[in-house]
Parts: sequence; structure tokens; C-alpha cells
Amino acid sequence: MKEQTTTLNQESLQTTWSLPKTVQIIGVILLGSVILYGTGFVNIAAVHNATHDARHSQGFPCH
Amino acid sequence: MLFRQIVFYALLVGILSGAVLTIVQTFQVIPIILAAEQYEGAAAEAEETMIPALHAHGHHATEEDGWAPTDGMQRTAFTAIANMLTAIGFALILMAVMITTRGTSWGRNLKFGWKQGLLWGATGYAVFWLAPAIGLPPEIPLQAAAPLEHRQIWWLFAVLCTAGGLTGLALAPSPWRWMAPALLVVPHIIGAPHPAGAMFPDQTPDVSASLEQLAQQFIGAAAIANVALWLALGLTSAWAVQRMITSMKQAGLSDTDTKPGYSA
Repeated sequence: MKEQTTTLNQESLQTTWSLPKTVQIIGVILLGSVILYGTGFVNIAAVHNATHDARHSQGFPCH
Repeated sequence: MLFRQIVFYALLVGILSGAVLTIVQTFQVIPIILAAEQYEGAAAEAEETMIPALHAHGHHATEEDGWAPTDGMQRTAFTAIANMLTAIGFALILMAVMITTRGTSWGRNLKFGWKQGLLWGATGYAVFWLAPAIGLPPEIPLQAAAPLEHRQIWWLFAVLCTAGGLTGLALAPSPWRWMAPALLVVPHIIGAPHPAGAMFPDQTPDVSASLEQLAQQFIGAAAIANVALWLALGLTSAWAVQRMITSMKQAGLSDTDTKPGYSA
């Protein structure tokens, strides 16, 4: 009985273990940067044309 | 988990702030872009070099081929989506930084109310709009510009230096603090890349004069539209961050440590 409880506790420890906050924060900043790269920097014609007006007004360098 | 929480709130904050920006733009920024494109179409027709298929979407026909949204609803919809995505990207970075300040002596017991919202909105505006715009003012179509890659690198350089400089001013210990203002001015001393020659090459003097006026108006309009964006981003991000802090406290987690923890 006691053994079972220990196993259970270990399992729940593993499933709720999360990455250090620093790593999570860096992850968030990277995700934000990738999104901004896509909307503001990617130099593919279709992407450029779709985001054209947004890039111009937000001051991203454009064409 | 912190990551998931920030992403969730960034979607909310970004969609809302992007919508605010789109509404403001519709009244002042977009009409100027469309007015400049009128000249673009006219110039191209005069040269009779326009390919009919490209004429349909009017702008940059000589540079950019490929798919483009059709003018009207579709174009507005894509601008709105692009605005929202950009705002989501800004919100992710802004909130990550706001939460990080909880781990410093400056931000430990800070409550994120509307004043903090205004402060962070102003900071974001200074870093992501004002600093790059000093060297590379927002441009209208047809305006001559340096090679795209050079301008993109300078834009990024200005953003990073300004972010670093402001962080230094706020947080650096005194021997280092004097370096911070230097970091703020470095990109402007180096200077943004600009082409030599006329602002609107290939245009008659009359058209050039009108376009220069439009370009001036555009800078003002973009400056105001981006104030609206960062006001919305700052205020809603402060609200979101305060909610995250409250929920972490309720779950019995410290929101300031950076050690591994258990997720809520």
C-alpha cells in the first residue's frame, strides 16, 4: 500500500514538473521574435504584399 | 505553466491591440498609402510599361510579383491580421520582460495597474517605434530607400541598443549606468542607411512635391497610430500580468524566483 502511494506521487511529480522560469521566459521572447520576424521582416513577395500596409505604418523597413 | 499563461494572454492582448491599431489606421494611415499609390499607378501608366496582370493590385508591380490581396475588404483584412500578429509578438516580448522585472529589486513588489501600463506602453513605443523611426521614418510607397537588408539590420540594431540602454538606465549599478545613455545614441551616431539623391526619383517636380507632402503627413499619422497601439498594448499587458501574478500567488507559487517549480 505504501509502495503504491510512493509510485503515484512520483508519477504526479513527473507530469507536473515544469521548466525553470528563466527558460520559459526565454521561450516566450523567442516565440515573440519569430512572429515579429514573420510579420515585419520576411522578404517573400506574398508575405510582403499581405503585410504591406501594416509594415509601412509600424515603421518596419519595407521593399 | 508560465509559458502557456503568457501565450494565452498575449493572444488576447495582441488581438485587441491590433484591432485598435487597425481602426485608427483606417482613418489616417491607410488613406495616405492609397493616395501615394495613385501616383504609382499614374507614373506606370505614363511609361506604358505596366503589365496588366500586375496592375490589378497596383503597388510595387515592378519589384514584387506573386500573390497579393485585392484592394478593398481583402486587403483590409490582411492588414488587420498582420497588425494583430505583430501586436501578439510585441505582447509576448513585453509581458516576458514585465514578469522578469519581478525578479529585480526595482519590480519586486510592484503592482501592475494603469500607471505601470502607461509606463510599459511608453517604453515599448520608444524601443520599437520611436528609436527606429528617428533614423528610418516610416515611408510611403515610391519613396527611394537604401537596400532592404541594410535598413532591416539598422532597425534591429536601433531596437536592441534602445532596449539595452533603457534597461541600463533603470537597473544597472552606478558604475555602469553612465554607459546606458551612450547605448541609446550609438545607432543614431552610426546613422541609418539612406540613399543619395532625390526622395522620389523618376517623378516630375510637381508630383515629387505632392509626394513629399504626403510623406510628411504619413510620418505624423503613423506616429499617432502607433501611440494608440502601444497605449492598448501597455494597458492590457499590465492587466494581464497582474492577473498572472495573482493566480500564481493563489496557487502558492512565488512569482519572483527563477528556480524550477511545479506548474499551477
